[in-house]
Amino acid sequence: MNSKIITPNQSVRKVFGKTIFELAKTNPNLYVVSMDLMSSLSLQEFVNTYPDRFIECGIAENNAAAVAAGLAKAGKTVFLCSFACFSPALNWAVVRQSICYNNLDVKIVGSHAGLGTADLGATHQMLEDIAIMSTLPNMEVFVPIDAVETEKITVAISNSHRPAYLRLFRPDTPTISDPKTDFKIGTSQVLKTGKDITVIGYGPILTQVFEAQEKLPHISLEIINCSSLKPLDSQTILKSVKKTGRLISIEDHQKNGGLGQVVADLILSSSLSPKFINLSVNNQFGQSARDCTQLYDFYGIGTKALINVAQKICK
Amino acid sequence: MPTQIDFNKLSRDLRLDLLEMVYRSGSGHIGGSLSSLDIFASVYHSDIFNFKKDHFILSAGHLACAFYTVLASKKYFPKSELVTYGNFGSILQGHISAHVPGVEYSSGSLGQGLSFAAGLAIAQPQNSVVCLTSDGEQQEGQIWEAVMFANKYKLKNLINIIDCNGLQIDGTIDQIMPLTNLSDKYTQFGWSVISVDGHNLPELIKTLKQAKQSSKPVCIIAKTILGKGISFMENNFKYHDIKNLPESDYLLAKNELQNYHP
Repeated sequence: MNSKIITPNQSVRKVFGKTIFELAKTNPNLYVVSMDLMSSLSLQEFVNTYPDRFIECGIAENNAAAVAAGLAKAGKTVFLCSFACFSPALNWAVVRQSICYNNLDVKIVGSHAGLGTADLGATHQMLEDIAIMSTLPNMEVFVPIDAVETEKITVAISNSHRPAYLRLFRPDTPTISDPKTDFKIGTSQVLKTGKDITVIGYGPILTQVFEAQEKLPHISLEIINCSSLKPLDSQTILKSVKKTGRLISIEDHQKNGGLGQVVADLILSSSLSPKFINLSVNNQFGQSARDCTQLYDFYGIGTKALINVAQKICK
Repeated sequence: MPTQIDFNKLSRDLRLDLLEMVYRSGSGHIGGSLSSLDIFASVYHSDIFNFKKDHFILSAGHLACAFYTVLASKKYFPKSELVTYGNFGSILQGHISAHVPGVEYSSGSLGQGLSFAAGLAIAQPQNSVVCLTSDGEQQEGQIWEAVMFANKYKLKNLINIIDCNGLQIDGTIDQIMPLTNLSDKYTQFGWSVISVDGHNLPELIKTLKQAKQSSKPVCIIAKTILGKGISFMENNFKYHDIKNLPESDYLLAKNELQNYHP
């Protein structure tokens, strides 16, 4: 299959809020625990309709995470909603013990993650969340590529009855994923088939890969949307890399503990030996910008960098 | 509850079981376990709560030895398991673990259990949720987040018992980080506060009954003695956690506990 980029852009946060509201209609055990960022996650409709299932903890992320765990112990499915730079960054030890070790049905929703939170600067540009969440036993990790996949993943994790992390992006994004296909935990989607290079990534940064492909008429990219980071779809990745013999990973996240390192481990543990390039933020904090593409270019994870390394790797 | 419980005998027998556990297994947080043991006994050896629906959450997870001892005394698992504490393959993990029958929450990192208990309390307003924290644990900021939360949501079914022995790993609480009138703090945060002798079982049980009737979240400040019942451990913070108790100390402690009166 070959996906296309569809505009106008849509808000992943609005779709997230709408999906929670729709799920709450049929699931009376669905709760939302908030840390004074309800409006930023577009949860107003849920709050107005189901005030008894909306628990507002105020600016107190540690308490909120363990309250969510307590609710889950009582049989609730809990969405713990904030910015990624606060939850899970600030309350990670509570997530580790109260949610993961106790293995409870809490979904940590970290919005405004990555360089997408451009103007707010380094404190709010969470670039370490995938690393700190992937390392936790019992935790599953998901990043939707767009609004359509946000809905699908939110529905899937609401039915999993396990801990999960959902990373959300702040700006409105074009639609790439197919509304007609199902999302299945532990599977990746080949968005575009190709023969020369496998490009794997997650989240809206993948639109950059489609832009790069347009400027690379003589190189055929196979683009994989790795929205299920943990569990990882090893089979789809290895099958593609076996075919292309070249691999580029791209992510709006630190190199240490990111997808690139996870995939490198997968490849080194296999019989394959592709050429490999890891595009990620290398041991640096972010900074303010009007638009995240400025930052993607500055940190070497944008369209320009991708075009360069794709040409280099194919020489 | 049986009409006549010999509370002195109960306290003595539990202490002897606890000592055997720590000595035979090779380790344990014996100081705080001896200070909190009567609190566990008051919760489990009374008819105030029905743990088919009510909840007990141990937030101070290092008090596992005391909790395991009391659970074994209530036949949640065989008493013979106690000596396997902290050993490879044992269900009795070093810090309290929900893998053990009767335990609902795994903990060890302080300050989280009161929030967890508050989550349960808000989900099940008809059931009582009892949480046990330590006095040193009140230094964790998250405790005060939970205290504010319980007041906001008027969690009258939530009881936080604080084991106040006045000591922590490196010294006294007053030296390390004073709590300065805990009772006033909880009152100011909108809780009811009751103070009690944490080694007087009839008084503890009376206090729990009173707390269950409250119209607000309740903090029970239980004044206790670290190492209670073993003279050379009492009020000595070096007995926070011990490894390989020497046989001579064990025999001395056992001899004292056989004659224990609160």
